[in-house]
Amino acid sequence: MEENNNKKPQAIVEVIEFGPLKISGNFIIKDLKRNKEESPGEIWLCRCGKSNNKPYCDDSHKK
Amino acid sequence: MPHFLITILPAEKKDKRQYSKYFKACLNNLIRSLMEKDENHFSGGKRYRNKDITVYWKPSACVHASYCYRELIEVFDPSRRPWVDMEGASTEKIIEVVNLCPTDALAWKWNDEEKNQDVRADQYNHIKFRRPGLMQDKNSVIEETPVSVKVMIDGPVVLKGDFELTYGTTKKVVSDGMISICRCGVSDHQPFCDGRHRKTGFNG
Repeated sequence: MEENNNKKPQAIVEVIEFGPLKISGNFIIKDLKRNKEESPGEIWLCRCGKSNNKPYCDDSHKK
Repeated sequence: MPHFLITILPAEKKDKRQYSKYFKACLNNLIRSLMEKDENHFSGGKRYRNKDITVYWKPSACVHASYCYRELIEVFDPSRRPWVDMEGASTEKIIEVVNLCPTDALAWKWNDEEKNQDVRADQYNHIKFRRPGLMQDKNSVIEETPVSVKVMIDGPVVLKGDFELTYGTTKKVVSDGMISICRCGVSDHQPFCDGRHRKTGFNG
């Protein structure tokens, strides 16, 4: 079938229950506080606020 | 009688049987395309694409010479809706058959703009020769704008663009949209931000 909508989903964003935010696919992450810009393909972002490696998850939510 | 009906009337009696099946299908397609909002539709007719090329169809120019469906029914099937299935054959084969169309009804182009510049003249139905005006049609190029993921200072993560979102049992496609996901863990509206990080003094 033809896919004619120009707006194909570029990334998959998954809110993991009691866990991080997983983002995979075609995306650019801009971290305004640490002034970084990357396009890593797959990341897990902290949602609990306790990570020591913000904005990424370091499994602190399990403790 | 509208002119598009005259063009598909059988020329001779013996052709009648051959045409009648497609007469019905074509008419149905026409009526449906007028009634429905059709995403393939644009001001210059319709367009269909695969990863390599875009095929343009201009219904008003079609004289039903029928090369397309006789040669490649897998792609061009008037009894199906939409009648063009770009995944039905290889790009090469589709180009070959589109080039057989004796009118402006079917034309094609590469999705890669640079490739369109040096197309040889034996590609009869390339838009450069058939419908040069479409060389400016940028809309056919598949936009692959990356999703913007912004980690706000001491605030949420803001996602912008076209993406698939799942949370709990919800799964939805966000098209050209924007959402804020809580990063501090105290929002009452999980997984979304409700601004509470400002009151709790979130540092991240």
